[in-house]
Amino acid sequence: MITSEVSYLKSSAILKPDDLVRMYRLMLLSRRFTECSLEWYREGRLPHGLHPSIGQEAIGVGACYGLRPGDWVLPSLRTTEAFWTRDVSILQQLNAEMGNAASVSRGKEASHHAGYPGNGILSGTSIVGGSIPVAVGAGLALRMQGTDHVVISFFGDGASNRGDFHEALNLASVLKVPVVFVCENNGYAQTVPASTAMALKDIADRAAGYGMPGLVIDGQDVEAVYQATQSAIQRARTGVGPTLLECKTNRFRVHHPFFEEDRSPDEVARCWERDPIEILGARLKEKGWLGQADIERMEQQIRQELEEAIREAEAVPTPTPEEVFTQIYAESLGEMGL
Amino acid sequence: MRLLRGNQALCEALTQEMTQDERVFVMGEDVAAHGGIYRVTEGLLTCFGPTRVMDTPISESGFVGLAVGAAMLGMRPVVEIMSCGWITVAMDQIVNSAAKVRYVNNGGMHVPVVIRTVISGSGNVYTGQELEAWFFHVPGLKVVAPSNPYDAKGLLISSIRDPDPVIFFEHKSLYSMRGEVPEETYVLPFGQAKVRREGSDVTVVAYSGMVAVAEEAAHELAGEGVEAEVIDPRTLVPFDKKTIVESVCKTGRLVVVHESVRRGGVGAEIAAAVIDSDAFGYLRAPILRVTNPGVPIPFSATLRKIVSPGKDEVVAAVRRVMAYA
Repeated sequence: MITSEVSYLKSSAILKPDDLVRMYRLMLLSRRFTECSLEWYREGRLPHGLHPSIGQEAIGVGACYGLRPGDWVLPSLRTTEAFWTRDVSILQQLNAEMGNAASVSRGKEASHHAGYPGNGILSGTSIVGGSIPVAVGAGLALRMQGTDHVVISFFGDGASNRGDFHEALNLASVLKVPVVFVCENNGYAQTVPASTAMALKDIADRAAGYGMPGLVIDGQDVEAVYQATQSAIQRARTGVGPTLLECKTNRFRVHHPFFEEDRSPDEVARCWERDPIEILGARLKEKGWLGQADIERMEQQIRQELEEAIREAEAVPTPTPEEVFTQIYAESLGEMGL
Repeated sequence: MRLLRGNQALCEALTQEMTQDERVFVMGEDVAAHGGIYRVTEGLLTCFGPTRVMDTPISESGFVGLAVGAAMLGMRPVVEIMSCGWITVAMDQIVNSAAKVRYVNNGGMHVPVVIRTVISGSGNVYTGQELEAWFFHVPGLKVVAPSNPYDAKGLLISSIRDPDPVIFFEHKSLYSMRGEVPEETYVLPFGQAKVRREGSDVTVVAYSGMVAVAEEAAHELAGEGVEAEVIDPRTLVPFDKKTIVESVCKTGRLVVVHESVRRGGVGAEIAAAVIDSDAFGYLRAPILRVTNPGVPIPFSATLRKIVSPGKDEVVAAVRRVMAYA
């Protein structure tokens, strides 16, 4: 960490009670969406299992909440929250999970790599860490186009061991690209503990190697994520350069429904002791900004929205067969494809 | 018309496109202050400044990824990879990012990036490689391989204006090759082969540095009374199958020449495309390929000569197919 930068990064932005309630709802929506998705996957109603973000909701919501139109994000495979916070609808993401005829890719790719240009969301790839340089390139474009927009690049602790992470941070720093790197450190790369994969405690320390500030954030505290990201965004917007934010978090569920849980029941139970939704909920209740009745109403509303969306998504047909041959190139190659 | 070397023709293409389209920018190793080790980007830094002509650290995967991201947001990056051997480091960004963006976004985003790289470079097992077949194989990529300064300029301008990712292979011999190049801006459409020499006895398909070799062979064969038709496809994806099929219908014989490795190479696909076509019934001889036999590019010039096809190998192959009645 570059100490001279720390005070700058601690400058705080104001969150109004309304904002906090909205953030609470976004996290709750993400939790329920993920739970329902996993359930629907098990029942065979969805062809694709989501990588559950349960326990990590504060990161995507806190980081994306203060973005402006014209800013961009590139989610990790687990940053489900980025989609809600950038106003993608439940139906859009369910269509994407189904790969149906109404999905944004028309069945060509699943929801977690979906791009929504209208919402400032870039599509990622399955190659963990491979999207980090792409996010930096997007930031470079925004600066070359004379805007003050920024890009947030999300990735997990596992991705920070990829060469692409290191190349991207170096390039972003040396070119002063308006990008914020948000590492969702849940301590595991699929099943491999971070302690086996890296010989340092804090990924934030890696920032020093690239001449940029790196900060450790409590990833379970949505306000802390928001504040840190806002400072980093400000730093990026004003042309000072990129920042690495390491959000310490826990994945409350198994990596993917295809996997078996390797962690001990005790370890998983300990994760639940710091539930980001509970943490913000308690704070809001204490301040009197959100009551139990409000939460129940919110729950009911979300459940209804989810039920309606899945019914609507299920009514959408699968893509037409000819869809498979479209958009490989701008024009069809025909026999010139050999 | 004035003569330019290949590297000057490429530089002129870049200069003209950067002048008329401010979305175009250049990045790579040693491309700015130094002007590129083959002088293709010479003078661009002075003309367009450091925000549009960027030297990068040795991070091929990183800066190709940057180019992809910038292209997704509407820029037109032209990236230089100093030798084809180093493009392997950026394969993930090319194959998994650049090539897939249009498809996974159903056209909602696309990647108009050009990745220029050098084939048959200073000879050794790493930098001297010709890996165009790797990219030829991947849906979503276009593959361009000019054989002369005129084509190099027109095809580079077309590549920059193309909405899809283009891998642009520059044979090292192109840089010093002189040829007529018009001063004005012009484009050459993809998927249009050029018949470099007409002939009625045998069709010789060659691209990139092998076109000159094939023409040389054709000249020698003419002395023996054999008229070879030399066709340069110019772009490998998209590929002008029609021109080649029509030629083979006329000649009944096909020899394909490429400098890269035979196994899994572009030549096999060209041969298969002809066999699959109406030309099949016209074939009077087996289709032969003149290629690297499957050897890493050796350092010693003596050894390299054995590996890389030359005029004599092309002549020998043509004589073999001519032996069939």
